[in-house]
Amino acid sequence: MTGPLAMLNDFSVATNLWIALVIGFFFGFVLERAGFGDSRNLTNIFYFRDMRVLRVMFSAICTAMVGLIALSWIGLFDYSVLLEYSLLKTYLLPQIVGGVLFGLGFVIGGYCPGTAVVGLVSGKIDSLVFLVGMIVGMWIFALGFPVWGSFYKSFDMGRITLWQIFGTSKEIMAAAIVVMALIAFVLARLGEKWHPYDK
Amino acid sequence: MKEPEYAKGFWNPYLAGVALGLVLLVTFYLMGTGLGASGAFARTAAVVAHGVNPQFVETNGYFKEFYRPGAPHPFVDWIVVQVVGVFAGGLVAVITARRFRISIGKGPTAGAWLRLSLAFIGGIIGGIGTRFAMGCTSGQALTGGATMAVGSWAFMMVVFATAFIAAYFVRREWS
Repeated sequence: MTGPLAMLNDFSVATNLWIALVIGFFFGFVLERAGFGDSRNLTNIFYFRDMRVLRVMFSAICTAMVGLIALSWIGLFDYSVLLEYSLLKTYLLPQIVGGVLFGLGFVIGGYCPGTAVVGLVSGKIDSLVFLVGMIVGMWIFALGFPVWGSFYKSFDMGRITLWQIFGTSKEIMAAAIVVMALIAFVLARLGEKWHPYDK
Repeated sequence: MKEPEYAKGFWNPYLAGVALGLVLLVTFYLMGTGLGASGAFARTAAVVAHGVNPQFVETNGYFKEFYRPGAPHPFVDWIVVQVVGVFAGGLVAVITARRFRISIGKGPTAGAWLRLSLAFIGGIIGGIGTRFAMGCTSGQALTGGATMAVGSWAFMMVVFATAFIAAYFVRREWS
């Protein structure tokens, strides 16, 4: 059957939520097995001690990216539905500002939202504190919404992909990203040998 | 350098990445959208605030979208249920690996209070960041990364560039 199933067929709310629960279960399980329940395993990348975050993230992105293209080739996935209805929209400047704040939060707080959940169920007190902080952050964002609400939805570029920007096909763009990932894996190894903070 | 104790016993990172990518791929195949996390906490923040001051939440420019008239409770939502699944899946993984331990993850010489204060501050800053970016490492970097969305790639690059620079200033927390 051609996917995305929920968008091409009319799934009931209950079906969608059951899928969410099962998907989330595997997501959490893999995050824990990757070592992402410990803030040290997550922040060591920034000190060139252990680049596992880069390895996991890039492998995951490449697997899903290539997998989606392969599924669309054999007719099991309708990529045009994704492009038209569910591709994440780009709000360029807000997302860059969000990226700066999120990057600070990541290295200072030691987690990102999903990994903090896995940290919490691993018994990590720091992840509990991080999650409470994150809720407070959401309140601050909501309180300040009258100030930055118009910025939040600005620089709207719509549903736009890298291959459209670079004027190429999604296959060539994906191949370029895979090559970039392989180069990053080699550099990661060199970075770990360098580990400048521990000399 | 020698592998520390807390880094032992996990999957090979490339294999873990492929497994994570397959979970993401199945999600796209089924739903047409990817994974997420921060959205569940935005909704949690709205629900807690609603318990204290419903009028504020229902008129707030951001929170009111979770409390539209006639809409189901903010927790009856894909992302919230998916994060409940993350709790469950993470817990099963921790228990079956016998890794549950009450502890604080921090650098060997960093103090517990320094670490916990910074975890709180980092949580606040990161939480605000997820709202401007409309997602986090899951909802933007993984999901938008795999579909080559422009804003997601911009977000991911900026996150890591910022964190690599800022790492120098909090090195005592992690050393």
